[in-house]
Amino acid sequence: MKRHARLLRTALVGGASLAMTLSLTACGGSGDATAGGSDTIRVLVYGDAANKVEKRLVDTFNKTSKVKAVLDTIPGADYQAKLQTIISGKQAPDVFFNWGGGSIKPYVDAGLLMPLDDFIAKDPGLTSRFLPSVMDTAVVNGKPYGVPMRGTQPVLLFSNKKVLADAGVTPPRTWDELLAAVKVLKAKGVIPIALGGGDKWPTQMWFQYVYDRVAGPGHFRKAVNGDKSVWASADSRKALGMLRELIDAGAFGTNYDSVKFTDGGSPALLATGKAAFELMGSWEYSTLQEAYPDFVRNDLGYGTFPTVEGGKGDPDNLVGNPNNFYSVLKRTRHPEAVAEFLKLMYSDEFVKSQLGIGNLPTTTNTPEFLDGSANPAYSTYQYDLVKKAPVFQLSWDQAYPPAATTTIYQAVQQFFNGQSGPDAFIAAMQSLPAA
Amino acid sequence: MTTATPAATAVDGAAKTGRPGRRGRPATGVGRPGFAWAAPAAVFFGLFALVPLVLVVVLSFARWNGLGSPEFAGLENWSRLLDDPVMVKSLWLSLLLTVLGVVVQTPISILLGVWAAGRQRNRAVLSAVYFVPLLLSITAVSVLWRAVLDPNFGIPSQARWLFGDGNLLGTQAGALGVLVFVSTWQFTPLHTLIYQGAARAVPEVLYQAAQIDGAGRVRQFFHITLPQLRNTIVTSMILMVVGGLTTFDTILILTQGGPGTDTTNSAYYMYQKAFKSFDFGAASAIALLLVLVATLVSLILVRLTGYDRMRSTMEGV
Repeated sequence: MKRHARLLRTALVGGASLAMTLSLTACGGSGDATAGGSDTIRVLVYGDAANKVEKRLVDTFNKTSKVKAVLDTIPGADYQAKLQTIISGKQAPDVFFNWGGGSIKPYVDAGLLMPLDDFIAKDPGLTSRFLPSVMDTAVVNGKPYGVPMRGTQPVLLFSNKKVLADAGVTPPRTWDELLAAVKVLKAKGVIPIALGGGDKWPTQMWFQYVYDRVAGPGHFRKAVNGDKSVWASADSRKALGMLRELIDAGAFGTNYDSVKFTDGGSPALLATGKAAFELMGSWEYSTLQEAYPDFVRNDLGYGTFPTVEGGKGDPDNLVGNPNNFYSVLKRTRHPEAVAEFLKLMYSDEFVKSQLGIGNLPTTTNTPEFLDGSANPAYSTYQYDLVKKAPVFQLSWDQAYPPAATTTIYQAVQQFFNGQSGPDAFIAAMQSLPAA
Repeated sequence: MTTATPAATAVDGAAKTGRPGRRGRPATGVGRPGFAWAAPAAVFFGLFALVPLVLVVVLSFARWNGLGSPEFAGLENWSRLLDDPVMVKSLWLSLLLTVLGVVVQTPISILLGVWAAGRQRNRAVLSAVYFVPLLLSITAVSVLWRAVLDPNFGIPSQARWLFGDGNLLGTQAGALGVLVFVSTWQFTPLHTLIYQGAARAVPEVLYQAAQIDGAGRVRQFFHITLPQLRNTIVTSMILMVVGGLTTFDTILILTQGGPGTDTTNSAYYMYQKAFKSFDFGAASAIALLLVLVATLVSLILVRLTGYDRMRSTMEGV
């Protein structure tokens, strides 16, 4: 009787978080369960394919260090929820993976994290060896709390070259060209832009770029720091108006909310030629590479988001995930060992291994090894974009604290599909907790 | 006899006591099983149901985001929830999904169950086939239907005349329809099985008598089978109500509460509050509200149907 069990479970869920703290002892992943042992540091990461590089790095570290590092992994979708339940308990790691910005703000506020000033004072390489626009993401209350790890993920405008050629459209450089392209493509019977609206965060990407281009990066910086008035500004309304115009022009078709990126729906639209563009994080490349290698080889185009005439944002600005970060818990018993471990994040070995699995590290020595990446042209293009970007805005859902995510997703989805207007969107964004 | 009593009779038989009308302990000393026998189950129930329930009550009066210790917040969570339009809507959605589930699943299950209660071999085979969806995990089922209903690559793209642009999960009506359809697809087999068992327990003599009186199959169904299934219908409906009110997995995978908050039922809203927004106080309050509503609905159902009086449907009793 599964259904009976479900009622029980429902009653339990609220209290389950307590139980979870207990049960996580068993779910800690690899390594022995005696956390906080006297001579180990525990490193907690998001569980996915990149773990093999992280395992290798831990092995490298353990060869020379007296204090041994132990790598724990938590499967992707549950990462944030599980991290939050263990971080203030006995199972807390010494070092953990995060997205910077709002994703670690609650932990900083709770006094759990160690500002990295002392580490950086002892080893300036911890900042100087990384691209500045990326380092900024993990600064909270004016202090650095994270060292970049893994690779950068800017959001790019991908296209199907064949569809564009058939329609006689060139990749748009300006917003007006984008609108014109939408009209032509629609007349040809293709969906101009693929969008996985069912996931909601792909919809959010459109807001991030349009707001940055129209209102400049200052708008969001103010908003996330608690100045709610900016959401009601003229720039904000202009950005919403432009999005409305694009949606009403039929740019995304009519059924985008039934399509998801995560189950391969929207990439399939692009790859099979049913759609011409998709705005997506740089991981789109490897996603498509796996499912449609021929398409990637022959017809996949990529470029930056169009510029907006008269907009306040620099056309070189990027949005997305500047990088992932390692943050350090204040109560770690081995700060020296942790500092040594973090130094590996700008080592040659780290850069080479990350490039080998398709990640693009944001260290200053990355260009030396770009030839060894899976696709040197694509990696070089991305690296140059990130390097010259004056501002690399972290995705809204990560820049705000986790408590804001649901509201943001609902607001962008409802505005896009016409369930709510600009006023409701502005009110929703004004209701968010400040980071 | 109701479907529930044979088991009870067996137990009573083993204890050689407890027949209706015979009161008090028998002199033989072969008593009922002592309370000690229930102890293991009672301990488990206490540990995994009662203790968490008490904790949830405590948390519903606290502010807690999972970090540090909960702070007492008085009635804050409750007053916030009662003013929250999404919360009110989520309760309505829970009830709507439940009612739709019952209304759609009950007739199908009864018809299939009664049909499957026949004794021909092909029916047994077909019944086994019907049962397959229940064996699949609800997650797998949801993922499967999501793919099948994809607007650009699934069935809707081949049947535009029926599905239009295929934006099933992008509209409230469409999304609710898909949710009801998927849970019907998965859970009808369970209820069919229950009805099959109950229909087989209807005494053959009733049909024989009806036939002699010249009643056709339709009349037999409405005048013998349905009344005889009354208690089974209540049992099955209570299961559906409990399942409907706590629908969660299908929503998590198929709609994530969207579009907007159009399919955010209370169970999903609770999950969102707890594990997306890390607002465990509010989530606990929702959980309690859901427990209250579920209890209330079950009680009403039991009262309305007379199930509490446990009237036997056996002829002549």
